Amino acid sequence: MAEVPCRRIMVVDDDVFILEVMKELFEPEGIGVVTAESGDACIRELEKGFRGVILMDIMMPQKDGWETIEEMIDRGLMEGNIVAMLTAKDVPDGELDYLKEHVIDYITKPFEANEIIAIVKGYLDYLA
Amino acid sequence: MENSASLSCDGRTIVIIGSSTGGPRTLETIFLRFPLVDAAIVIVQHMPHHINSALCRHLAKTSRMEARVAEDGDPVEHGTIYVAPSDIHLKLVGNRTISLFDDEKVQYVRPSIDVAMTSLKRSGSDRIVGVILSGMGSDGAQGIRHIKTIGGATIAQDLRTCAIHAMPRAAFETGNVDQMLPPEGIRERIIQIAGTL
Repeated sequence: MAEVPCRRIMVVDDDVFILEVMKELFEPEGIGVVTAESGDACIRELEKGFRGVILMDIMMPQKDGWETIEEMIDRGLMEGNIVAMLTAKDVPDGELDYLKEHVIDYITKPFEANEIIAIVKGYLDYLA
Repeated sequence: MENSASLSCDGRTIVIIGSSTGGPRTLETIFLRFPLVDAAIVIVQHMPHHINSALCRHLAKTSRMEARVAEDGDPVEHGTIYVAPSDIHLKLVGNRTISLFDDEKVQYVRPSIDVAMTSLKRSGSDRIVGVILSGMGSDGAQGIRHIKTIGGATIAQDLRTCAIHAMPRAAFETGNVDQMLPPEGIRERIIQIAGTL
């Protein structure tokens, strides 16, 4: 599949406050924000055709961020997307190394607004 | 190809940068307004294949170096950044020619930083530099040990500046890292070693 031009991000987090904060941060920058409150909701958005930068929380009920990425890989939904983990959780040593080719960045909470906007804009440029 | 290649007499500076999760941010800082230097720079970044060319475009746009996705048989030229393509291993034959080859993943990844770095050979005329940036796991640690063994300079990203510090920490723990530097320091050190054109 060809690279898809886009200026959209998807924020995947079970914390509705975070989803709202991200919309307030990015929409004034001209970046569309799709929100997903679970891994399953993220998969549904991808199946509907979302392509862009995905900011993925790790700690979510039912299906965590890593399991969601595994499902994206299994279903062939990684193409055209850039995934960065968005989390307060430390990276566990070793056990998730097999996913590192698929995760471009790891952004820790709390984050500075200017910093995360700059990071995401950089990755959107990759997809432009 | 490997058997026929031999080390050239004219010296060259070859920089291999190993990078994984969080590395693109560091690469951006290193190569922002980066001058044209007298070195061939090979970047092995763990990443999905659909952003290989985008990373090259980005590096070419922000630096004065030429940047391209490495192809099998490419001679390594100074003033050029070669980005290892995803899903295939990269090695340097005789320190001069890029070879891409299919093989099992090493530590879950292909291309492997260790595979690329350990392909370098000791040469009286070449200057070799190995750099390890942010990332999960320990890919590159073996490569850094090898580069030190063949007389090269070794650098790892300062842990406080890493999105994920496992990879530079693993390199550091080999006892073969000369310097732990923040991205700006890595940039300056590469320029200092290579010299500008």
